Amino acid sequence: MSVLRTESLYCAFGSLVVTKDVTLTVIKGERHVIIGPNGAGKTSLLNQIGGQLHAGRGRILLGGTDITQWPPNRIAQSGIARTFQRNNLFPNLTVLENLCLAVEARRGRPWDFFSLADHRHAVIRRAEALLAQVHIAGDASRPVHNLSYGEQRQLEIGLALAGEPTLLLLDEPTSGMSPAETKSMIALIASLPRTLSILMIEHDMNVVFTVADRITVFYYGEVLASGPPAEIRNDRRVREIYLGMED
Amino acid sequence: MEFFLEQILNGLVYGVLLFLTAAGLSLIFGLMNVVSLAHGSFFMMGGYVAYSLYRLTGSFWAALLLAPVPIVAAGVAMEVIFLRPLYRRGHLDQVLLTFGFTFIFLDAVQTIWGRDVLALPPPAVFDGVVALGTGVFSSYRLFLIGFGLAIALLLWLFLDRSQLGARVRAGVDDAAMAGGLGCNISALFTAIFGAGVALAALGGVAAGPIFGIYPGEDAEILIPAFIVIVVGGMGSLRGAFVGSLLIGEADTFGNAYMPQLALFLIYLVMAIVLLVRPQGLFGIKHGLAASPSGSTPAAPLPSRRALAIGLIGVAALVIYPLLVADYQRSLVTELLIFAIVAMSLDLLLGFTGLMSLGHAAFFGLGAYVVIVLGTFFDFNAWFGVALGIGAAALAALVIGYFCVRASGIPFLMLTLAFSQLVYSVALKWRDVTGGSDGIGLAVKPSLFGFTLSNSLTMYFVALFFFVLCFLGLRRLVSSPLGRVFIGIRENEARMLAIGYATRRYKLASFTIGGAVAGLAGGLYAVFNGFISPDAVYWSASGDILIMVMLGGAGTLLGPVFGAAAFLLMKNLVSTYSEHWLAIIGVVFVACVLFFPGGFWGTLRQVRIMTREKVPA
Repeated sequence: MSVLRTESLYCAFGSLVVTKDVTLTVIKGERHVIIGPNGAGKTSLLNQIGGQLHAGRGRILLGGTDITQWPPNRIAQSGIARTFQRNNLFPNLTVLENLCLAVEARRGRPWDFFSLADHRHAVIRRAEALLAQVHIAGDASRPVHNLSYGEQRQLEIGLALAGEPTLLLLDEPTSGMSPAETKSMIALIASLPRTLSILMIEHDMNVVFTVADRITVFYYGEVLASGPPAEIRNDRRVREIYLGMED
Repeated sequence: MEFFLEQILNGLVYGVLLFLTAAGLSLIFGLMNVVSLAHGSFFMMGGYVAYSLYRLTGSFWAALLLAPVPIVAAGVAMEVIFLRPLYRRGHLDQVLLTFGFTFIFLDAVQTIWGRDVLALPPPAVFDGVVALGTGVFSSYRLFLIGFGLAIALLLWLFLDRSQLGARVRAGVDDAAMAGGLGCNISALFTAIFGAGVALAALGGVAAGPIFGIYPGEDAEILIPAFIVIVVGGMGSLRGAFVGSLLIGEADTFGNAYMPQLALFLIYLVMAIVLLVRPQGLFGIKHGLAASPSGSTPAAPLPSRRALAIGLIGVAALVIYPLLVADYQRSLVTELLIFAIVAMSLDLLLGFTGLMSLGHAAFFGLGAYVVIVLGTFFDFNAWFGVALGIGAAALAALVIGYFCVRASGIPFLMLTLAFSQLVYSVALKWRDVTGGSDGIGLAVKPSLFGFTLSNSLTMYFVALFFFVLCFLGLRRLVSSPLGRVFIGIRENEARMLAIGYATRRYKLASFTIGGAVAGLAGGLYAVFNGFISPDAVYWSASGDILIMVMLGGAGTLLGPVFGAAAFLLMKNLVSTYSEHWLAIIGVVFVACVLFFPGGFWGTLRQVRIMTREKVPA
């Protein structure tokens, strides 16, 4: 059963075509990894699905509903959450405040102007649970700019999970991480429940082949190949243009 | 038919003058992401310098050619010395800095040339009229149209054909990239800034023979030029050109055929463009840029110590009026009222990250409602205050609806433009508002039998509302809704991505802030018994802004102290100096340069730093 389907997505900045004719399906519960050289249009695709960028042509369907022209907040409310390639947090707020904002958006009462945010125990408990889920230990009242880079990457995922998504979009969750941090990120992703579908961009081939149920290869804005990891590993064209560079 | 043709030509004259101002503004914005509020001042100063040059040489042409030279020198000096150090610090600081300079320039102009309207005669060659069908048309105006169109053509050729023009275009597209490709970006910035100033100064000279030269010309050209840029699209020369002609014609035809509505016509054009094509007619659609990160930490929890200090403060404010004379009592009453306005702007600026430069509009609206209803319908003043709050909230809701479609600098330009609309209405609707003379209440209102002409009663009324607003706003910023506002200030794009319809929340903040300002305006009307359009002029919005910045945006108590410091300083200085304007300007500039967090923010920063030094 497909959770998300894009049909012939096309997007261009002036004469620069970033995605052309991208048709892609995410099945319920699957870990779908997108790989491809830099500038292949991977992040642009995620931005189109997340509503940060609006497609020139084509459709995006979330369980049968056309969400192509929806603004990002509506897409988030309908169950797609995302992380960003570069940390995109609230650096001056505390770890807990970051998560509370995201929890409040989904199941809280963000228009409440009279109760004290710090007394909203249900929201805070949920935020603390998320903190544990993404393995951030230590003082939750630290401002986020005091967290290590790796912890900030984990918090990115925490913010996304707070939206209780059915589909999680991860944009290079391990980029810039040390080997140890990467390892714990893989563990974190592996620990996410199978009711959640994941569409993720990744460069680190160890991560890709550890996590993926299905791999889609992007090349200059187009889908070059898509299939189970074993199939992709043996695809001659993919080896030539992409995996070949790794040798 | 002749009348119609004449209006078209007059529209072109105005359009060409707008273009000379808007072209520079737009290029500077496109390249440096800065909007220079001093741009209107350069226009105005161009006229004044030309006047003096004309008196000296007797030649209009010498004045036209030479006047831009000292103006460009002043503009370039401002860019190099003051703006350049701020490039790393976010563009809003730079905008505020140029705002400070508008006060300094205005004061300089009034000191040197006085406040009267000066006349610059047109050159002898164009001193006649040209037959136009059965009518006539000033030949100077025809010359001006040709002059403006020629400059537009030259600018286009320069940008499109020359090597330097190509660099400018590259810079507009992506300054960082152009810098990486070997352009000397800061030299390019300075050159374009200087060129923009030269165009504005030329416009000021050229406008002299038609409109005269007077203080206040700066805002009169700047605001429509903003509207031109919003309509035409930021950073687009073609947009500035088409927008100028469109706005010039719309305004001229409005004045000719429906003078009552002319004021609103160009705003209507702008509103339609904003709704249909928010990026402007020729603008490029940009994604939501990462918002400049606020440096202020979240509001601290109300601790027991804060409560104790607060109670002592209130106790002092209760005892104080019993010990002093009428004058001191009234001074602190005024101070409490302005503290309320400053806090209301802080909700927008410090907590939601909305840089509004039109907040005085809501304050003035609240005041006008009380006085106008009291004068014409004998309304009870307290009923008037309540209606004033409602009117201010409604105006904020409508104005905000358009403004929150933009963010950052375009937002600031829109709030400024709309507030000038309120100012124009206050100025021109003479039957109701008394025009520039203002309007006063004949009888002081009373409260439960105590007349408010008693300074003690008025003091306690103001104190009551001040404490009420302070506690209410503090509660608001600590509530979930307040946290949403802070989240938007910190990172609006991420707020969207986690599911917040940020526009709605920004509109809510804008409306609440407007309503509270309306309350303060109503209190001010009761206290002062008089209101004039000066209270809603853009410099009044600037006063409120400087109160907030002086005290520290993002802390509720900071603006209270900022308002106090500002008003005390104003009282002190204006008793023995006429250069109050220049002093505000200098304080503004110094504040932006040296105290970006304001008094309270700096204090808090010091406390955080000293705390961090202690090993845990």
